[in-house]
Amino acid sequence: MERILFLAHVEPDGSLVKAALEALASALALGEVTVGLVGGSVQGAADQIAGCGAMRFLAVEGEAFAQGRYATDAAAGEALCRAAGAELVIAPSTSRWARALPGVACRLGGRVDTHAASIATMNEVPAVTRWFYRQRMEGVLTRSQRPWIVLLEPGCVTAWTGTSGVANVERVAVDVSTTRTTVIGMQAPPADEQTIRPDAKLLFVAGAGWTKKQADGAVHAQEAEKLILGFLHAAKASLGGSKSLVDLSGEGEAVLKCMTHLNQVGQTGSTPRHPKGLSTCCHGEEPHVVGWRFIGERRAINLDANCGWARGKADVLYVSDAFAVMRELNRLLA
Amino acid sequence: MPFQIVVCGSIVPDPLQTLEPVTGPAGPALKNEMMLPAVLDPWAGHALFEAAHLAAQHAGSKVWLVSLGPKAKLQQVMMTVAQKVPFELVAMDGPASGFADSFDTAAVLAEAIRGIAGLDRGRMLLFGGWESASRGAGSTLQMIGERLGITEQFQGVDELRVEADGALQILERVEGGRHQVSRCAAPPAVLGWATGRLPEPRNNPQVGMVNMRLVMPALQRAKAAPLKSVGLCFHSVTLPKQRRETRIVKDMPAGEIAREIVAWIGEE
Amino acid sequence: MMEVDIACAGFGPATAGFLTTLTRVADLPLQVICYERADDISFGVSGLVTRARGIRASWPELDFSQIPMATPVTTEKLVWLRGTRAVELPYIPPFLHKADGWVLSLGQFLQYAGGQLMGSGLVQIWPGSPVREAIVEDGRVCGLRLQDWDVRAQLTVVGDGPVGAVGRQLDGKRDLHEWALGMKMVVDLRDDVELAAGTVIHTFGYPEPEIFGFLYAHPERVATVGIFVPSWLRDPRRSSYRYLQHFMLHPYLWRYLRGGKLRSWGAKSLQESGRRGDPELVGEGFARIGEGSGSTNVLTGSGVDEAWTTGAQLGEAVLELHRAGKPFTKAKLEAAYVARRRDSWVERDARVAERARDGFHRGMIAGLVGMALAGFTRGKLFIPGRPQPMQRRDRQLADVPCDGQLLVSHQDALLMGGKVQAGPGEDHVKFRDPALCRECATKLCVSMCSGQAIANSHDGGVPAFDREKCVHCGACLWNCEQKNVIFAAGTGGLHSSEN
Repeated sequence: MERILFLAHVEPDGSLVKAALEALASALALGEVTVGLVGGSVQGAADQIAGCGAMRFLAVEGEAFAQGRYATDAAAGEALCRAAGAELVIAPSTSRWARALPGVACRLGGRVDTHAASIATMNEVPAVTRWFYRQRMEGVLTRSQRPWIVLLEPGCVTAWTGTSGVANVERVAVDVSTTRTTVIGMQAPPADEQTIRPDAKLLFVAGAGWTKKQADGAVHAQEAEKLILGFLHAAKASLGGSKSLVDLSGEGEAVLKCMTHLNQVGQTGSTPRHPKGLSTCCHGEEPHVVGWRFIGERRAINLDANCGWARGKADVLYVSDAFAVMRELNRLLA
Repeated sequence: MPFQIVVCGSIVPDPLQTLEPVTGPAGPALKNEMMLPAVLDPWAGHALFEAAHLAAQHAGSKVWLVSLGPKAKLQQVMMTVAQKVPFELVAMDGPASGFADSFDTAAVLAEAIRGIAGLDRGRMLLFGGWESASRGAGSTLQMIGERLGITEQFQGVDELRVEADGALQILERVEGGRHQVSRCAAPPAVLGWATGRLPEPRNNPQVGMVNMRLVMPALQRAKAAPLKSVGLCFHSVTLPKQRRETRIVKDMPAGEIAREIVAWIGEE
Repeated sequence: MMEVDIACAGFGPATAGFLTTLTRVADLPLQVICYERADDISFGVSGLVTRARGIRASWPELDFSQIPMATPVTTEKLVWLRGTRAVELPYIPPFLHKADGWVLSLGQFLQYAGGQLMGSGLVQIWPGSPVREAIVEDGRVCGLRLQDWDVRAQLTVVGDGPVGAVGRQLDGKRDLHEWALGMKMVVDLRDDVELAAGTVIHTFGYPEPEIFGFLYAHPERVATVGIFVPSWLRDPRRSSYRYLQHFMLHPYLWRYLRGGKLRSWGAKSLQESGRRGDPELVGEGFARIGEGSGSTNVLTGSGVDEAWTTGAQLGEAVLELHRAGKPFTKAKLEAAYVARRRDSWVERDARVAERARDGFHRGMIAGLVGMALAGFTRGKLFIPGRPQPMQRRDRQLADVPCDGQLLVSHQDALLMGGKVQAGPGEDHVKFRDPALCRECATKLCVSMCSGQAIANSHDGGVPAFDREKCVHCGACLWNCEQKNVIFAAGTGGLHSSEN
């Protein structure tokens, strides 16, 4: 029976993110769990999950742990792992944990697996499933080294729901006087420019075709931008792009101002999870489409009836001019 | 203030290639891996260009590229990379497979970095790609940092600004398309880069010629670095079945397509 | 601006032969740099079986078994395909024999050769570096102009192939009238196929009498299959890709290919004029090698060994001149390189080939007889003929049903098999005079484009060009009857090193 530690950081408002509750559910399914929390103030979060049946609640708490920072998070993670005698550590894959926990594994002489799609018992040992080569192949692996830290991808498992209560939290002391890093704050694009919406029901992908010469021989970048932004606003969709389009935007040409590298899907970009995806003016080639691995229903609009979407990558391909369709679409959604 | 920047980066198959797993005695591998055209790992490439950009702005700075990969493939990739920016190569002859354990890879790279003559590890910047396009774990740099005693680490970096007092202001990608802004008073630090802000540098034959004088000898000197992966066991590696039955719609007026899409968006 | 001793345009078998010969001198005192436009040096395209005479003579330590996909020739067949039938000729003329040769992948061979060259540290090869043109001053070639850089050199070696920018610049107004488009696929065969590695099949007569085809078996159930579509076969309703599909479906070949999977695909132009297309091989400050200099032998159906050998000959010439302290003038290069070339088997075989194929202009039998005559009499006898415009053929080329594995749409072949792509940049195919395009009813550039990168525009005028589909084969260049296509060197294209 392995000693399982569920490790989560607490948000500034004292709550746990959904991904943390998913990781908790996953940990509980594997056996008896010790909860480890890191944050500025942890009691609220501990109470939120007090009814989960954990054996112990441990925490590293304090101002120094309110924000994500490698030195302090790694020290906290290490301390909690040692305090719990953890053999298996289940944690949500958040940017904060992705930064620090691999270092913790190294410190403890253990191993780490990130972006796990699942961790489950297989032949009486835990096995992790994760993607390799940018979501092109799926591997199932086990490890004998301990501790084994596993970061679980958000959206793969149903989040824990249960009763709150009052948790008995044991604080663990950690010395962090030597860090040279200060977190100054967050930077976000202005609200009307925010095109990445991880919780949107629809991913809208704009491909390089938007910026190419159209049937009349001219480029219509401004109208393209207007149509794309109009649709995103009306449908509350999230914006994705192919590498070729974001490369163009990065070459200083500002062809589509709304598109940056952060919007890139596939290849070196993200692999977002949305129930639906609509692709426009995009070839649908493998390096981009691997980013659609977790998109449920897929439709595409492209003038090229021979594009990748036609070959089993989309549910529906509309062979049509995206400009014309989007004009109509925006009109209907308005 | 001059910087000493060590960039860790290896090779991955050209993203256009069709990839298939095969299982051998040593575990899973890519089919025909040695025959697939290779490129420098994309985010590692961004890290290299950012390093060169930073070095160019601070006289006396130096950039090393530390790379673990099959020697012949490294050599091929250098023919493209060496034309981009000036750097000195430290090469190790070993696997660049996505199925290799990041723990073992980090051990080899840390060892190689310790062996770099003239490097002041107490003041260095360790750059690399946030994640590779092969293993895609985003865990190697942290482990190298730990082995070298560096506790100021940043991942998903898009921007590094050096302030007047030498402090580093760093932007890291976090959830929701936002960036966290942090200030690190001084090196050493680890930065795992995302895309950064710079475009890919154009090929520069002069840079290539100068780089090659050291790159080829470095490759010839490359020590064998096999990875002994203990305790990691793959039970299966499979290609997902993902072919859909595509309904191709032609000759439908734009308005009708729009109506169909609106209905589809509204469905639960 | 940079200065080197020798600058080379293009890295193919010819330049590989040149550099390999140079680097046999351990302390090579010359600074030699080669610029190749493709994204990697190993994206060669050639249906390749070779006797490798010149290659082995100049590189005795070469061990072909080190090169992936290489296998010695075991069986040869020459087959006349007609309709659904096939006649295996009982006798293969000696000039067509590949008996002591090897089946290779050119991409793998060049990758290997390039790796050896780079590893020597004696020369540098830079892919992703298209050469715009040669720098010419006062009638002398002084080096190469890259996109943003000038590289000045004592000697410029032009090995950029039949449609290379530098070669054509030096050709000037000379018009070489014999071209073919070679298109091939590399196929993973089904598990139970009975086809021994090293099998070499050459065909003629199908899907058109003028189309020559081949199927070569590599180890591990991999086969290369392809065709040569000549320039005197002009019908805007047919594309080389369609022809290739129909070729594969011929029962004689389909028995091997059925159930197979497309692995890679590519296309290139072949300059088949041989000696008739022989340009000025040398000039002040430059020398030409390889297919662009007319080395391909259309009679024996070989080009790689010939190209390599001309490169090796130039290599020997350069070493000789350098040791003697002589400059790279036209006269000296003629004496050292051209003389070697004229005195070699490459030249002797080229003379035989010179008139070998003319008979085909009079028809199939005449063509075969003509080839045989020329081959057997070492060029003394041949059947003369001049290229004629083709008659319209009545038989339509049927649509090929797609199986998604080997029989795939043309675009699928690009995406699955050629991985064709191009980064941002300028179009390297342009049309000179829009009026000529508006008047052109046939637009052969559209039907002959190997990648469907050239498409009719909505107004029937200047065609649209999509550089993300271009494989840089150059077919547009020599098919335009108005000579209205500007075909420059650009990056991108094929990303497969198996061709």
